[in-house]
Amino acid sequence: MKKLLFITFLLVNLSYSQINHKLGKVSIEELKQSTHPEDTTASAAILFKTGVTKFNYFGNKWEILTTVNYKIKIYKKEGLKFADFSIPYYTTAGANESVRFSDAYTYNLVDDKVVKTKLKSESEFKTELSENWMERKISFPNVKEGSIIEFSYDFKSPYITTFNDFRFQSSIPTDYVEYTSYIPAYFVYRTYITGYENIDVNNEEINRIDYNENKVTYTKYNLPAIVEENYVDNINNYTSILKFELASIQYPSQDVENYSLNWEGVTKKIYENENFGNELNKKGYYNDDLDVLLKNTLTDDEKIDLILNFVKSKVKWDKKNGILCKNGVKKAYKDGIGNVAEINLMLVSMLRYANFDANPILVSTRDNGISIYPSRTAFNYVICGVEINKKMFLLDATDKNTLKNIIPERAINWVGRSIKNDGTSFEIKLAQNQVSNNSFNAMINVLNNGTIEGKVREQFSNYNAYNFRNKYGEIAKDSYVENLEKRRNNIEISDLEINNKNELINPIIQNYNFKIENGAEIIGDKLVFSPLFFYASKENPFKQEKRKFPIDFVYPFQDKYIININIPEGYEVESLPTQTSLTTVDDIVKLKYLINSSNNKIQLQYNLDINQSIISFDYYENIKSIFKEMVLKENEKIVLKKI
Amino acid sequence: MNFKNYWLIIFCISNVLFAQKNNLESYVIPENLLENANSIILSQDIQISVKSQKSFTIKKNKKVKVFNQYGLKNIDALEYYDKSIKVNSIKAVLYDGNGLKIKKYDKQDFTDASIANGFSVFTDNRIIYLNFTPIDYPFIIEFESYIDNDNTAFIPSWLPLDDYYESVLNSNFSITYPAELGFRFKEDNFNGYSISSNKTEFSSHYNAQNLAAIKKEEYSPSFIKLVPIVLVAFEKFQLEGVDGSASTWQEFGSWINQKLLFKTDDISDETKKRIIDLVGSETNPINKAKIIYNYVQNKVRYVSIKMGIGGWKPMNASDVDRLGYGDCKALSNYTKSLLNAVDVPSYYTIIYGDSTKKDIDQDFVSMQGNHAILTIPFQGNLYPLECTSQSAPFGFAGDFTDDRMALVIKPDGGEIIKTTNYNEKLSKQSENGNYDINEDGSIKGTLKIISTGVQYNDKYFLESAIPTKIVEYYKLFFSEINNLKIENTTFENDKNSFQFIENITLTATNYCSFSGNLIIFPINAYNRCSSIPQRYRNRINQFEQQRGFYDEDEIEINLPIGYTLDGKPEDNDIKNIFGEFKTSIEIISPSKLKYKRSFFMKKGNFDKSEYDNFRKFMEQVAKADNSKVIITKKI
Repeated sequence: MKKLLFITFLLVNLSYSQINHKLGKVSIEELKQSTHPEDTTASAAILFKTGVTKFNYFGNKWEILTTVNYKIKIYKKEGLKFADFSIPYYTTAGANESVRFSDAYTYNLVDDKVVKTKLKSESEFKTELSENWMERKISFPNVKEGSIIEFSYDFKSPYITTFNDFRFQSSIPTDYVEYTSYIPAYFVYRTYITGYENIDVNNEEINRIDYNENKVTYTKYNLPAIVEENYVDNINNYTSILKFELASIQYPSQDVENYSLNWEGVTKKIYENENFGNELNKKGYYNDDLDVLLKNTLTDDEKIDLILNFVKSKVKWDKKNGILCKNGVKKAYKDGIGNVAEINLMLVSMLRYANFDANPILVSTRDNGISIYPSRTAFNYVICGVEINKKMFLLDATDKNTLKNIIPERAINWVGRSIKNDGTSFEIKLAQNQVSNNSFNAMINVLNNGTIEGKVREQFSNYNAYNFRNKYGEIAKDSYVENLEKRRNNIEISDLEINNKNELINPIIQNYNFKIENGAEIIGDKLVFSPLFFYASKENPFKQEKRKFPIDFVYPFQDKYIININIPEGYEVESLPTQTSLTTVDDIVKLKYLINSSNNKIQLQYNLDINQSIISFDYYENIKSIFKEMVLKENEKIVLKKI
Repeated sequence: MNFKNYWLIIFCISNVLFAQKNNLESYVIPENLLENANSIILSQDIQISVKSQKSFTIKKNKKVKVFNQYGLKNIDALEYYDKSIKVNSIKAVLYDGNGLKIKKYDKQDFTDASIANGFSVFTDNRIIYLNFTPIDYPFIIEFESYIDNDNTAFIPSWLPLDDYYESVLNSNFSITYPAELGFRFKEDNFNGYSISSNKTEFSSHYNAQNLAAIKKEEYSPSFIKLVPIVLVAFEKFQLEGVDGSASTWQEFGSWINQKLLFKTDDISDETKKRIIDLVGSETNPINKAKIIYNYVQNKVRYVSIKMGIGGWKPMNASDVDRLGYGDCKALSNYTKSLLNAVDVPSYYTIIYGDSTKKDIDQDFVSMQGNHAILTIPFQGNLYPLECTSQSAPFGFAGDFTDDRMALVIKPDGGEIIKTTNYNEKLSKQSENGNYDINEDGSIKGTLKIISTGVQYNDKYFLESAIPTKIVEYYKLFFSEINNLKIENTTFENDKNSFQFIENITLTATNYCSFSGNLIIFPINAYNRCSSIPQRYRNRINQFEQQRGFYDEDEIEINLPIGYTLDGKPEDNDIKNIFGEFKTSIEIISPSKLKYKRSFFMKKGNFDKSEYDNFRKFMEQVAKADNSKVIITKKI
């Protein structure tokens, strides 16, 4: 019986898909549907997206042809933006990609009849985005709430090594997605799918007269919309996307040409590229300058700092990512400007020249996402690793405020790959372990008219100092004071002093005096205030009920407050907030709130510890509830009463 | 010999030496120009030469010294171009902070790109710009360009100061022209600046020196109202190949009618019939217009299209009818054509569309504005129609087009009008409701909000918003209530009287805080104004309140059983030149309080000396809105 059911299900399913996943079959029911059955909040939905990729051989060149069919339903006016569609493509002499739209129609229900409108060439636009990038756009006619649009496009590409991704999931629900790739047996691609959705995969081998093909079909019903949240490194890492990576090519009666089967191979290939390895091994262009710099006896630590600072001052970053040099290290050195590869390979080279065990580390930036599997295109950035006494330090000279193990946030993304002198490589964790501290010390006087005044000493270390320097380092003092007053909830600041703005290895220290006229509230014969005053947070950053993505704090940190309060004469403490101590399993997040009073003094000690930079979503509910408690605690009040 | 003079001679000699070495002369920058400056224009020369009605050239040379990363955007080494504008030459030279030449950039070093910057924008406008990363600060960049332009309808204005935080040492602007084209100009905001000019029949020349950088301050009027400007235009002009001539708005409007709008209202007989059928037996012009506006709103969507003359001339109504989309000009013109079909007159209207109000300068007849709407005249009133919106009510000018000068194009020519001003008392929000305080610190409440005027404008989108957006909106609106849960909402949108009603039921845990056996909670749960204007130790600019409003709240608060009031904040009654603010708490019964609040904010322009008082006022409001009530358990 069970079997029978299964078969009928399959049959139904098949016929269902055959009928419903072809263009040109729009039913009255579909047009009448006013909300998405699974997700009533959806402004539009992809009813289906089907794609087929085939390889064709023309003359002496391969061409990849991908045809994609879309059927999109518009439910709400907010969804009208999905009636405009664009595809960018790359063009260069002799190797152009191309895009062609076809079968584009808008369907509407008019007097209970299906009326279709063709999209004509007047609604198709071609734009030159930059020298090599073009874009084709279509804008559907007669689209309104309830409309269905359909179209097909062909994407042709001569680039067999950079096979385009196929996105299964989108910012709106996808009812059905199907993708079939026919790949000649000459080519071996490694494929993988990101995200949390189980896509059904079916493999088949097809024998042809000219060559055999591997046919792979991917299908999935009912993919939910993917939604952005706070503390996510890159939403694409968690979206369901199919990715291809060319592993090898073997033409008949020829040797296998390996591209990338493992990380070792990927790395080796990059190392052998003349714009990487050769550039890394170039010397001579800096010897004289560096010799002068290193002529005094210095400790290893000092030498590294000196060389890092030398590169930072000598070559500025042109804001371009990449693992390969463009104009070369020599030119970068001479012109004072270079891309990330030029800058950091130069740094590695100089450190090696000074006899350090330094290596380049290939990295994927946060924007670039994470490659779980070996991929030639996985990396887009390179930093430097240097080992002293078995301890690894990460360096990056693209930003003037970096230090040993303080590298820009863009480069802190899971793991990188360090390449040794001989071309071999090993994986290296980029996540940061050292804790960055924020400490806030305040001596506060509460006056009987509700005014609050006091002295504050704030100290920021490591990443907190780095971020401070990047954000406020160049702002004129007057503007900075105004900015700080605003951030500290409109207090009035005087005698501001900032230390170590330029002494990168020391923490930033900020001292100031402040005054708030209505800092404590007078209610009847009572004085009411929160002992955290202007430091209290307003809202919990975690809002979703559930979460499927890790929580990414970028680096571990501790926020520590010590606040001493003098209460005015004639008043006594009526009530204080209660003590609290909360922690997740494994102590990953800790919150401690200790308060006590004696005579006319109150002391608060309050700590928030985040002990790990990336935290699994298993902890989400736990962390969310701690943050909820944190907001409450920070806003709890002290009540003083007239004696 | 005077030391200063001696120094000057050396300076001159060295200057000559430098010049030979291809380096920049030195500039002496007065101290006051360094204040608030991220960059300084050392010298700027703009020479406009109008050859005929059909073409002009612009020659620019600008040397900017950039002090830090924030000044980098002011190098302005870029030009926009399209089919009517040709960039003949463009180049730049980089010098270090002392004027030593470092590098030259030729045209091929510049980046050429489309300015299509997002979806729904089709354009043939392009930009050529220097993609430049500084090696060190400060540096000086010299930019030079030479442009041919056919659109004499748009002669660039002279704005010696064109951004905040930038000073100007020396700026020259000259324009030469054939006298018969009818040169016109308008100077504004020259007061307090050292600007000289020299005018002949065929030319005008301006020079400005030592203009100090302007700091950006909250509540400042728009930048353009603060800085010197010279607007220039010609009575005879050309736009994308179409000749024009106008010395009055009337004539200008006629030109738009004849050259830009002519024959664009070409709807088919079939569409005409459809519209006539749709309107049926309705005879009242306004009712007819409402039917048509509703039809348009459900049929079309906005797509920005800027191609050639299409940047100024609406696409044909027949095309909009067929495609179901268009830009503001196309959609306004389309609606106008449909209204024509049922004999309802309407005027194509040109305006600056922006939530920051900007007027069409009525003293200066020229191509202005960045947006088109439609206005319907009826019994002495003008009803504005925003044709790009699919939800705006008929006759409602939201904050995108309210209270400003606009150009209406009537059949017999142009006329300047002022659009609707929803003054303070018309932009009203009244809240009526209650909330219960529970012993566990949570609250539960119901609230009815009625909004009109510009406040209506902020709300009516809720009617058609998806549920997640509605919740998002209320989390912002009630941002002071943590752990807010919206239990239920219903909306009534009265499109005829522009009144929006929200009925809300909400709950929130931990609204109250505890201290010992006291419960403390902010009395004003639903309408807190907590933003306090920035404090400036030395306010430089005048300030303005662009729009006024009027809020009225009346909320009943039920205390938990067994609790009594322990302390409540003082009532407030503040009145000043900025507005009025009143609150009161009335004890209705031992377990019931009534909170009343009214806040009237006037629209207006104020002298900078009043800024501290304004700040104080807002601080008092914030303090009062944040004030708390203490209750305690009866023993």
